[in-house]
Amino acid sequence: MTDAELLELVSAAFRTVEPVPEAVSAAARAAFGRRVPGAVPARLVSETDPPVTATLRGPAPRLLTFEGGGRTVEVELTPAERGFEIAGRLLPPADARVRVRRTDGEITGRTGSGGRFVVEEVPPGPVSLLFLLPDGSSVVTGWVRL
Amino acid sequence: MRTAPPGELVVRARNGDELAWAALTERYTEMLWAIGRAYGLDRADAADVVQLTWLRLVEHIDALRQPARVGAWLAVTARREAGRILRSSRRRPAPPPGDPVLERLPGPPSPDRVVDDRERLNAVVEAIGMLPDLCRQMLRLLAASPTYAEVAAALDIPVGSVGPTRARCLASLRKRLEESA
Repeated sequence: MTDAELLELVSAAFRTVEPVPEAVSAAARAAFGRRVPGAVPARLVSETDPPVTATLRGPAPRLLTFEGGGRTVEVELTPAERGFEIAGRLLPPADARVRVRRTDGEITGRTGSGGRFVVEEVPPGPVSLLFLLPDGSSVVTGWVRL
Repeated sequence: MRTAPPGELVVRARNGDELAWAALTERYTEMLWAIGRAYGLDRADAADVVQLTWLRLVEHIDALRQPARVGAWLAVTARREAGRILRSSRRRPAPPPGDPVLERLPGPPSPDRVVDDRERLNAVVEAIGMLPDLCRQMLRLLAASPTYAEVAAALDIPVGSVGPTRARCLASLRKRLEESA
């Protein structure tokens, strides 16, 4: 058997024994619909992992910071009894609508005083935050996995 | 569209061409899935790696400096996402058992010839599972027909060592299959 024939056998084996699930292919195609034309991207600039030892008060949050277009988004992700709690701050503070974007829908919230926001019961999976500002502009963070 | 060069598909997708995007996903989703599985992730985590990688491309598509190298970009991104998931799962309580790499699909009743084929293919996957890590990962990845640049990006090895490693791993696999035949 030549290398080419052996490789063909290897490909056939994995395609038969553990093919790409159709849902994975469908999600890949659908990802294109998650573009937000016109939104200013805020990129992840730092991430602090929770300490290995759990605290007495429960699981420690992951702290993420995103920056873009002169704005900073600070986010704390905390595992809760049901899904995750996403708490954070938009700086400089602004009265904004917050959309927690998921691959299968959105959960909405609002910033309060000082640009703070909390969204609860977010199921695990990839999320990105979109802030709609009063002047009609918007800021969108990179995707992170809960 | 399927035969268009990847760089051209990226440029078209930037301009909102949904068919170009679909062609990109058709070309590379199998490779991304293979990367997640090559790093030992279970199906759910491998699915997250694929999904996150495509979402990151949506996010960065306008900023890609070398659209023609989108495959290697995707491979590096998937490798990093896989690493991130592996690190975070180590911090979590013991993962549930199961989902071994060497799963067998339950076969419906089928003619003997089909059963023979399936057994032969299962034997190939099992033989690969017995090889050292680098060969196991290399062969899992080669199943998705990537370029050498993409293999190098996915496994974090120099492009120059892909050819020799590939040859060595294929030789090991051939030997193992001959022994078990």
